[in-house]
Amino acid sequence: MSYMEDPKQTFLEELKSVKNLADLANIKVKYLGKKGIITSELKSLSKVPPEERPLYGKKINEIKQFIETELDLQESRLKQEELKKQLLSESLDITLNGKFIPFGKEHPINKVLSEVTDIFVKMGFSVEEGPEVELDYYNFEALNIPKDHPARDMQDTFYISDDIVLRTHTSPVQVRVMEKRKPPVRFIAPGKVYRCDADITHTPMFHQVEGLMVDRGITFSNLKGVLVAFLHQMFGADTPVRFRPSFFPFTEPSAEVDIGCILCNGTGCRVCKGSGWLEILGAGMVNPRVFEHVGYDPEEYSGFAFGMGIERIAMLKYSIDDIRLFFENDIRFLRQF
Amino acid sequence: MRVPFEWLKEFIDIKESPHDVAHRLTMIGLEVEAVEQVGSDDVVFEVNVTPNRPDCLSIIGIARELSASYKTPVVFPEHDVLAETGELDFNVDIVDAELCHRYAGRVVRNLKIGHSPEWLRKRLEKCSIRSINNIVDVTNYVLLELGHPLHAFDLKTIKGCRIIVGTPNRVKGQGTRIKFRTLDNIEREIPEESLLIWDAERPIAIAGVMGGMETEVSDSTVDIFIESAYFDPVSVRRTSKALGLKTESSYRFERGTDIKMLKKALDRAAYLMKEVAGGTICGKIDIYPKRYKPDEINVRYNKVNETLGLKLTKEEIADCLDGLGFEMKKSVNSLKIKPPAYRRDIKREIDVIEEVARIYGYDRIPAQLPKATIGIDSQWSGVKSQELKIKNNIKESFLKSGFTEVINYSFMGLQDIDLLGINGDDERRNLVQIKNPLKTEDSFMRTTLIPSFIKNLVQNLSHGNRELRLFEIARVFISSQLSVASSQLPIEREHLAAIYYKEKGKALYRDDTPDFYIVKGVIEAILNNLRIYDYSFVRSSEPFLHPGQSADIFIGSQLPVASRQSVKTGYVGALSPAIVDSLDIKAHKPSVIVMEIDIDSIIPYAMQVVKYRPLPRYPYIERDTAIVVDSLLEAEMLMKWLKSYPSDLIEDTYIFDVYQGKNIPEGKKSIAFNVRYRASDRTLKDDEIDALHKSLVDYILDKTKGQLRT
Ligand SMILES: [Zn+2]
Repeated sequence: MSYMEDPKQTFLEELKSVKNLADLANIKVKYLGKKGIITSELKSLSKVPPEERPLYGKKINEIKQFIETELDLQESRLKQEELKKQLLSESLDITLNGKFIPFGKEHPINKVLSEVTDIFVKMGFSVEEGPEVELDYYNFEALNIPKDHPARDMQDTFYISDDIVLRTHTSPVQVRVMEKRKPPVRFIAPGKVYRCDADITHTPMFHQVEGLMVDRGITFSNLKGVLVAFLHQMFGADTPVRFRPSFFPFTEPSAEVDIGCILCNGTGCRVCKGSGWLEILGAGMVNPRVFEHVGYDPEEYSGFAFGMGIERIAMLKYSIDDIRLFFENDIRFLRQF
Repeated sequence: MRVPFEWLKEFIDIKESPHDVAHRLTMIGLEVEAVEQVGSDDVVFEVNVTPNRPDCLSIIGIARELSASYKTPVVFPEHDVLAETGELDFNVDIVDAELCHRYAGRVVRNLKIGHSPEWLRKRLEKCSIRSINNIVDVTNYVLLELGHPLHAFDLKTIKGCRIIVGTPNRVKGQGTRIKFRTLDNIEREIPEESLLIWDAERPIAIAGVMGGMETEVSDSTVDIFIESAYFDPVSVRRTSKALGLKTESSYRFERGTDIKMLKKALDRAAYLMKEVAGGTICGKIDIYPKRYKPDEINVRYNKVNETLGLKLTKEEIADCLDGLGFEMKKSVNSLKIKPPAYRRDIKREIDVIEEVARIYGYDRIPAQLPKATIGIDSQWSGVKSQELKIKNNIKESFLKSGFTEVINYSFMGLQDIDLLGINGDDERRNLVQIKNPLKTEDSFMRTTLIPSFIKNLVQNLSHGNRELRLFEIARVFISSQLSVASSQLPIEREHLAAIYYKEKGKALYRDDTPDFYIVKGVIEAILNNLRIYDYSFVRSSEPFLHPGQSADIFIGSQLPVASRQSVKTGYVGALSPAIVDSLDIKAHKPSVIVMEIDIDSIIPYAMQVVKYRPLPRYPYIERDTAIVVDSLLEAEMLMKWLKSYPSDLIEDTYIFDVYQGKNIPEGKKSIAFNVRYRASDRTLKDDEIDALHKSLVDYILDKTKGQLRT
């Protein structure tokens, strides 16, 4: 039996030539594998004379430990190097655009419409709808606008037949709801309306929000209270609001509601025609004649109604000077909101 | 209505500046839309007079309003008619007294027709009225000043010293057809019901609307007859509408004129004509068959305060009304009021309450939030709230999927529906037609939203957009009637539609998903988000879609059978290449996907309540299998068979690959699917699942007549 020569020197040299984990594995097998140099030596320890065994065994174990430590060290070194390579090879140009689909945009009219609706819903108003193709009765007669009355000239009407029109305002919803329900009622009715008119400030279709509140003891003062609260929420708490007399056949007293011009702060500009005020709402106490049409007793109940054009508010809000842009649906326009 | 400030000041002594007066007018309901500087010494107010206030269509009317507001008296102009020579030898006969309540006239002789003096011309000009000659100018002047329309006839052209006021029906008998040349030299056919002014032989004017050519005042006129009358507003309006003829005169008559001012206006005109054309004022005639008798209106003090939310005293209320020309009697609890003849708009208590508020000042009424009745009754939450929630949900989903919302007009043209090839018995041909459209291509209400999207596409692509994702939620209108005379409203349904287009080729990151699946995916995501899982896509037969790339959408368990239209809720697909080719688009044959869904029909399926299901406690086992089947076999069929296999252990199945090409025989395709098995009460064993899966695959191969892919 010949004692093994110390293999450390050879091992270290071989280790130096290792380029990758595969090479390393080969060396590991060569020394520490089942038939490896060290393993074989340990197996043949029995052939060593008993008195030399402890010392020799210890020596071989030292060598084994040395080799194991060196191999581990080298392995972690190689792994780090390989990881570095991998990371480098997987590197992206992080300045390229991300892949995404930009969110769509809500139409500016519906955006303003939701804003208006939300404020009234918070004040306890429900939301109602009515047909856009409407009976002459609901659009006019029941709202105290008889045939052959000059008030019909206030609205250029599209006719489907003698009795059917495209609704010219959202006010018919008032009548439809009151016909169905007993007071108290409190709702708004947003929707499309139609008038036979087209220029820079008129489109044949536009949007209105109608509102109605009927209960015992509702006063003109309450009408002012609710609308001032709404306008302050919509345009800011400092916005001046004024009410002035006007005429709508279905309300009396009727009012036109103005806000201080938000573009010039009331000093006068092109948009407010120098007056410092912008017309924003029509309103009034429900005319007893309307109550009579729906079977409410005007001696017991009173109420107020109001209506506003959404396009006008949107135009003011976004400084849009041509109403037709809303319906051209050019995405260069729509994506701005 | 244009109101020169200096003219106004002739009637009322106001010290305030024009700006202050304009503001005052606006705040009492006569909105001054503009204050225009005219020359160096005057301003003109542009006053917006509402249709209920014809009394304010004059200088005197505006002055009366200021008088009531400033509590300063109105001063009437000088017009003593000294040369009054008693009755006129004119025979005036009012046949239809309901249509003509009063008819007065005066003769002025020996006039010199010519230019008006400068002061007269200037005032007319300020009111945007062109000077014609001194006689016409005076009638216009009095119209502006007192608000009463007059008409001057050349006296010698009136035959037989006779005036008859009546409709053709009454004067000439039922069914008489009358042709009449008005002074604008147009011959008009007069409706039988229209009120006319006649002489002994023929009609000479359309009452309240326009005079006749043959009796017009001309340069050679020497003597004139001035007419001042009260015509029924409805009658004048009907005539004016029927003839399509609107004049300054008809505008006032149809709103209501002042029956008492009528005589004053006549005298004022005669006086001014004498002044400016040097005539002699002769006799007068005044027939007044239907007197103005206003009803007494009872105005309760407490009702005034209850309506306005004020606490005015009786005196304060009476003070407000003072100066409006009302006849007032005070009683303990109310005021008894009779309005003057120029305020026919005041008929009821509420009309008077409005006057109180107007004069008191809207700005002085406090703004106070109501003490409201609050309830949780369904009427407070609104019947529509559920539908609105669903609509908002859909809208949010589209926005997040990158679709931008559009709002199109509700109109379309016949050519739009023709382009889509929608045929006669399709309900989208039950069109609602507008009698007076602005454009013929906008004559109908939309029955589908797609035509609007095609226009949006063409317009946006012309601006060089490479990508387009648009959606709209709007109503369609299906006519429910065959005859136009019927008063049945059309059916209105809420539709959702979208369009998708993306330029091919240039893309930083590759994605070969066919466009059809992108839009179909959005629809499925939206349905699932509404917790609707019971739907199917079936090859579509819409005439305007690509037959190979389109599907009809069915909701609910009803499977598409013979009556497809009844359960179909929408469609999705590529616009037919034939239609795309016909459009004015530069891009080479773009693939355009459109979809449309009837929201109303899916709402009932979306109202499901969420119920929690416990999470699985035992692991699953998966198996993948690829089979080769006929290339026409649709995925949905395979899925149906997979679902029909009777085993409780199948948790989920899905198709993860479809392949045609190399290694697959012609006319065949390979479909790979995954099956996930799980038991709710134990851990499954591999060999158990091997057996089950083999049995499942055998079942599928039998159904599909396919083979395992090797
Ligand atoms: Zn301004």
